[in-house]
Amino acid sequence: MVDWIGLAIPFAYIGILVGSLSVFSSLYRKRKASKSASLAPWFGQHLQRDIYLTLLHQEPEAGSPKVSDGHLKAALLRRATEDIHRIVQIRNAKQALSTLLQRGSVGDDLWQRFQRAEKEIEEELRDVVSEANAFSPNWGQTIFQSASEMAQNAQIRTRITEIQGQASAEKEWWEKRKADISSGLMKELDEEKTTKPALASNPSSNSAKPAAAKIGSDDDAVLVDSPAGGPKGKNKKKGKH
Amino acid sequence: METSDTFTLLPLTLDPTTKAISSAIPASTALTEELTALNQLHRSLLSLEAPHTVPPPPLPVVPKRSAQITKLRESGNADFRKNRFPEAIRMYSVGIDMALARPGWEPSGLVREEVSALFANRAQAHMSLQQWVEGALDAESSVEMKKVGNAKAWWRRGKCLQEMGRVEEASEWVGQALEFEAAEADLLQLKKELDAQLVQKGR
Repeated sequence: MVDWIGLAIPFAYIGILVGSLSVFSSLYRKRKASKSASLAPWFGQHLQRDIYLTLLHQEPEAGSPKVSDGHLKAALLRRATEDIHRIVQIRNAKQALSTLLQRGSVGDDLWQRFQRAEKEIEEELRDVVSEANAFSPNWGQTIFQSASEMAQNAQIRTRITEIQGQASAEKEWWEKRKADISSGLMKELDEEKTTKPALASNPSSNSAKPAAAKIGSDDDAVLVDSPAGGPKGKNKKKGKH
Repeated sequence: METSDTFTLLPLTLDPTTKAISSAIPASTALTEELTALNQLHRSLLSLEAPHTVPPPPLPVVPKRSAQITKLRESGNADFRKNRFPEAIRMYSVGIDMALARPGWEPSGLVREEVSALFANRAQAHMSLQQWVEGALDAESSVEMKKVGNAKAWWRRGKCLQEMGRVEEASEWVGQALEFEAAEADLLQLKKELDAQLVQKGR
């Protein structure tokens, strides 16, 4: 006769052990997953990398042409340029972040995210270099030089467009201003007979700039000055260029 | 960014005739912009000359474009000396466009140098025509490209602002300029004039 009760005890022991272990492990895993999910990546989606890899893995379909090497090179160069932006960001952030961490101003998880981003960007650079070398030997050595020039050139162009883009607004302002000044001068001429002091204190010269208030008399002097300003600059230029 | 061995597959298609890459479905603005930039870059890569299949390293520079830009500047200067200011402005503008149209992988320092000289000269030509607004903007562009050793451009914007009656702004600008070019006599003089004007206005 089997001793059922005596046998049940070890089985129950094993059951409880396995059960508690599995509960623990599932809880632990869940917590770990939620923790790493809460650590948002440092950078957003790397669009250029996605485009490059999409093009690289494009299946040649009937009817649609094959993606040429030129496209892939362009995409790779765009990707390298974006990497340059990211490296600059990482480098700029590193010093500040480590100081903040030492002072305890930022949490540990921010630092962890940062380090992960750093590691990712290193891997990304290695990847880009090897891809570049696959296209043309030694391109890997120069692709990031080219990319960094591209980033800076793009910046130059945006700045120039920004400044030159102000032209229409500025011109409009200046036309209004000129009209104000000339109407102010006309009024002054009219009022001259009434022997008023030649200060342009009329209300019509209230323009957008505060500097406009009393400019009438100043401008007179300046306009006389301007022909002298022209030749002076001109001479200077002849000397240098 | 995802891990190193995965990526997001994007719905991209290649136009058979124009060879332009576009998104198959309506895409976000970021993706559209990126694709436009990519197609532009692709076209400029196609214009690479024979021995190069990939963008060459930034240095050495191919001297052809530099020579053309220098020539444009010289002829602009010649027009300027003969007091043909609109022609000079046109020459400088063509030069600026050409300098800015350099392929992106060529040295940005060179672009800065060329563009700042051309903008400074164009500012001067605008000033001779009493076009203060354009002069001020060109001088600002020039300074933006090259802050140190560009006293003339600093001076020109200050002068333009003064002519437009923006004395406070001009004074502030020249003050900034003196941080870079403390010994420039013209700037010091302009500063003095502006300060005198400010005092006069304050009364």
